[in-house]
Amino acid sequence: MKRHELAKHLKQVNHSVTKIDAMQLALGKDSYVADFLPKDALVIKMLWSPHAHARIKKMDVSRAEKMPGVKCVLWHGNVPRIVHCTAGQGYPEPSPYDTFMFDNKVRFVGDRVAAVAAETEEQALAALEAIKVEYEVLKPVFTLDEAMAPGAPVIHDEPEAHVPIPITYEPKKNLVAHVACEAGSFKKGMAEADFTFDQTYETPYAQHCPIEPYTSMAQITPAGRILITTSTQVPFHCRRIVARTLGIPVQKIRVVKPRIGGGFGCKQEILLEDVTAMMALRTGRPCLWRFDREETFRTGRTRHPFHIRLRAGVKKDGTITAIGLECINNTGAYGGHGLTVVSCSGGKTLPLYHCDNILFDGKSYYTNLPVGGAYRGFGATQAFFAIESLMDHMAEAIGMDPLKFRQINHIRPGEGSPIFQALGEGREGLPMTVGSNALGECIVQGAEAAGWEKRQDWRKKTGRYRRGIGMCCLMQGSSIPDIDMGAATIKINEDGSFNLNVGATDLGTGSDTVLAQIAAEELETTTDKMIVYSSDTDMTPFDVGAYASSTTYLSGEAVRKAAADAKRQILATGAEMLGLKPEEVHCEDAHVLNADGSKKVSYSDIANYSLYQKNQYQIIGTASHITKKSPPPFAAHFAEVEVDTLTGFVKVLNYVSTIDCGTAVNPTLCEGQTEGGTLNGISYALTEEYLFDETGKMQNASFADYHIYSMRDRPNIKAILVPSYEDTGPFGAKSVSEICINGPAPAIGNAIYNATGARLNEFPFTPEKVLKAIKAVKK
Amino acid sequence: MKLCEFIRPASLAQARAALRKLGPKGMPLAGGTALHFMPGKAPVSAVDITGLGLSYIRQKGAFFEIGAATPLSDIQRHRGPRWAMHEICRRISTHQIRNVSTIGGNIARVFPWADLPVVLLAMNARLVIYSGKMKEMGADEYFSSQPARLFRGGDLLAAVKIPVLKAHHGFGSVKAARNAAAFSMVTIAALLELKDGKIADARVAAGSAIPFPKRLPSVEAALIGKEPSAEVFRAAAALAGADAKWCKQEGMSAEYVANLAEVSIVDALERAAEFARGRTA
Repeated sequence: MKRHELAKHLKQVNHSVTKIDAMQLALGKDSYVADFLPKDALVIKMLWSPHAHARIKKMDVSRAEKMPGVKCVLWHGNVPRIVHCTAGQGYPEPSPYDTFMFDNKVRFVGDRVAAVAAETEEQALAALEAIKVEYEVLKPVFTLDEAMAPGAPVIHDEPEAHVPIPITYEPKKNLVAHVACEAGSFKKGMAEADFTFDQTYETPYAQHCPIEPYTSMAQITPAGRILITTSTQVPFHCRRIVARTLGIPVQKIRVVKPRIGGGFGCKQEILLEDVTAMMALRTGRPCLWRFDREETFRTGRTRHPFHIRLRAGVKKDGTITAIGLECINNTGAYGGHGLTVVSCSGGKTLPLYHCDNILFDGKSYYTNLPVGGAYRGFGATQAFFAIESLMDHMAEAIGMDPLKFRQINHIRPGEGSPIFQALGEGREGLPMTVGSNALGECIVQGAEAAGWEKRQDWRKKTGRYRRGIGMCCLMQGSSIPDIDMGAATIKINEDGSFNLNVGATDLGTGSDTVLAQIAAEELETTTDKMIVYSSDTDMTPFDVGAYASSTTYLSGEAVRKAAADAKRQILATGAEMLGLKPEEVHCEDAHVLNADGSKKVSYSDIANYSLYQKNQYQIIGTASHITKKSPPPFAAHFAEVEVDTLTGFVKVLNYVSTIDCGTAVNPTLCEGQTEGGTLNGISYALTEEYLFDETGKMQNASFADYHIYSMRDRPNIKAILVPSYEDTGPFGAKSVSEICINGPAPAIGNAIYNATGARLNEFPFTPEKVLKAIKAVKK
Repeated sequence: MKLCEFIRPASLAQARAALRKLGPKGMPLAGGTALHFMPGKAPVSAVDITGLGLSYIRQKGAFFEIGAATPLSDIQRHRGPRWAMHEICRRISTHQIRNVSTIGGNIARVFPWADLPVVLLAMNARLVIYSGKMKEMGADEYFSSQPARLFRGGDLLAAVKIPVLKAHHGFGSVKAARNAAAFSMVTIAALLELKDGKIADARVAAGSAIPFPKRLPSVEAALIGKEPSAEVFRAAAALAGADAKWCKQEGMSAEYVANLAEVSIVDALERAAEFARGRTA
């Protein structure tokens, strides 16, 4: 059997079982945070900063506190001043501690000033208007050039700002992070090249746009603890960060995540929970805080805009002799994820192609603009735009088909890259070789589906509407090696069902279903026998949460190991019941049986025996898992576009997204992730942008003015799962969730070039930019 | 806007009486989608006009008459001889909104991005207003400024009358938007009357990229008496700047928007000419 066929014999994994929460959601049952709102809950509203950079000289909340219905007002004068980091990452975080619950300084339009909890939203809003604030407006910093300039205004001048681990952080220079490495000699590699390139690229802000905005509720339990029900991707990080921010023990807090209406990384940040918890503590009442869409845009986290300089050298035969990638990101007013995003811009991209001489330099700077955070694909999304645009550029220079140029250069199974070790996330990475890799097949299948053979040079095209095909290759990772940890427990019930408890966080991806499939496969029962409970800091084991493409690969392996532990106990008890030795029996279809099947006992009978009858004990498996590698999923994307050369409008006609995610645990969910991420990426490439006025205020903070693609705009997207088998993953699985968003910007950019000869190094590809580039070609 | 009262009159007369009594505190309400764009905390009483028989499309003589409370989705779905209104209606917002948003609501208060006023100006529609009795006015007069001026005394828009296009008439519209549900960057509508292979009459209107929808008289004048060719259309479109000062929007410059408008004018004219030559809608 070929490696990629290893998953074919599986009975639960590699099958598209229905999502276990599908019916609940389809029927509109209470599922989301706001569905569980007690009748006596207070409503929280926030007074946001109107200034990009200002010091609060004076503040008077006394009128607001006396307003009808108002129960509590929080501001920097009446809360603990505890510096912390809002990014939900491993501990200690590789991000600066530069945030307070409330501060006497505001650093972007949309920063916190004061919060009100009142009986009704109207009362809370009225109270906000009664708060008097006197600001000393400071000179703002809006661009990377301004942030880096000598003598630039210092955005974080507070003495408490620091990093909890030894990484570069110079707030007096607005520098949030700096990471650099070199493999081989970049200078030597450039000298060996027949052609050299030096290009700059710009990538834009973007918003995750989950349909359920940030929502959090806190209440005091009868035992005096704080129960936080919240829309989060990181319940355990949330508990830790809230405990720190409030100055109370972790023991006092329980965080529960119900169903989530999308996250895409934005809910990896603790933006509401500290305030809802403090309000609940102060008032003794349940408190709900829910961002509206405008708040989600202005104050919620965003994708870091990047300025990229990419240099490379190539020989006439297609050998890439040198790559020099310099990335500078704008992390906005706070630095969470500032280091990891820029690290991933090199770590998740540079190993893709063979090259002996690689130089990477990544920096992250504060500005007085909205705050960057985790967003699906982070770092790689931005860097792949540059790298994959330049790959086409280089291929054309040496007269080679860009597809073939990628084919001869991409990393193969068994190969490593010095970048894997050089660029970790906050510390050095681990040396790694690629195990599973079906990128070659992805390229072949994608090219066939996209009709690559019919692609023609742009110089042969005439007429107003011109069509072009572009492609790109991609890689990502699966969890953060040696940092991320997931755990699971699984116990049997009398009827042969199992309680699977996981800390892993299903944010709408279907991970509860996927983990149930993995447990069922290992236990040789069916997925419908799994009762999944996840993401409750009191009741489930620890898990870092849903990010870094980790849940299936990392938490899934923890689940498989826990199931294996339970299975061992089932086998022992079953053998005892059958009067056999454990090595004489095996599991099959929810039974323990001997080799010829003449003796067998069901899981239900085993559970009843162990719980009620003899040698009584609870069959319960438990396991933790930490990864030692981060196997990349691979992808090849192909876009066919039509460009209106009179207006610059670009229409995507067809898009092919191939993906090697190892074993697709649930193929339908994998296709859904791939299609959704691809559409998200198309929208990012073409229409999404933050428009600011001269004061740093976002001008298009609504779905009326910030254009995301919906199903109405969906082009023909063909998702192709190309299986491989990753030995280190549960039943061969890697990851699928992030990689797909990284392709559309470079693939569409390359397609626009193929259609018109216009090369754009900046997106979104707005009609005006495209038209300008087309006119430049004509000149 | 804060709705504090909801009145359901049984007749147009009752609705008008209620609105007269309420004055600035009253507001006729049909689909209600425009409420989203009406900030403010002043309490307002809504007078529901959806139960007054104003939702219909019927052909009466030389006109299609559309009741003011007819949802856009009904107009989108309607078909009739040389009917052209569905094209623009299917481009307005999302189908969920089109199911409730009405033609009257779209033109009783004109938002800068509104598409229908542009189309109605080009089509030389007539607007029927109830002021105790029905009275009509042409689109040019109706859209000469914000129509709210016409409804201050409690008067109500009752219907929109669209001329049935004759055999030698053609209509074309173009809406340039960033995606399917986005507001328009530029909307252009054109009505051409062809006679003996030449343009006998032309009405061309623009919206969205200008503060208020309007006709483009210089463009129209440049068309009349000419053959309906691409060259003529381009030459006419190039004169649009004399009639309209195009505004920057969506992060794009006024210069770009002007170019987009000119291309859209040509496209709308070509569609209108094609329609006039025999294309069915």
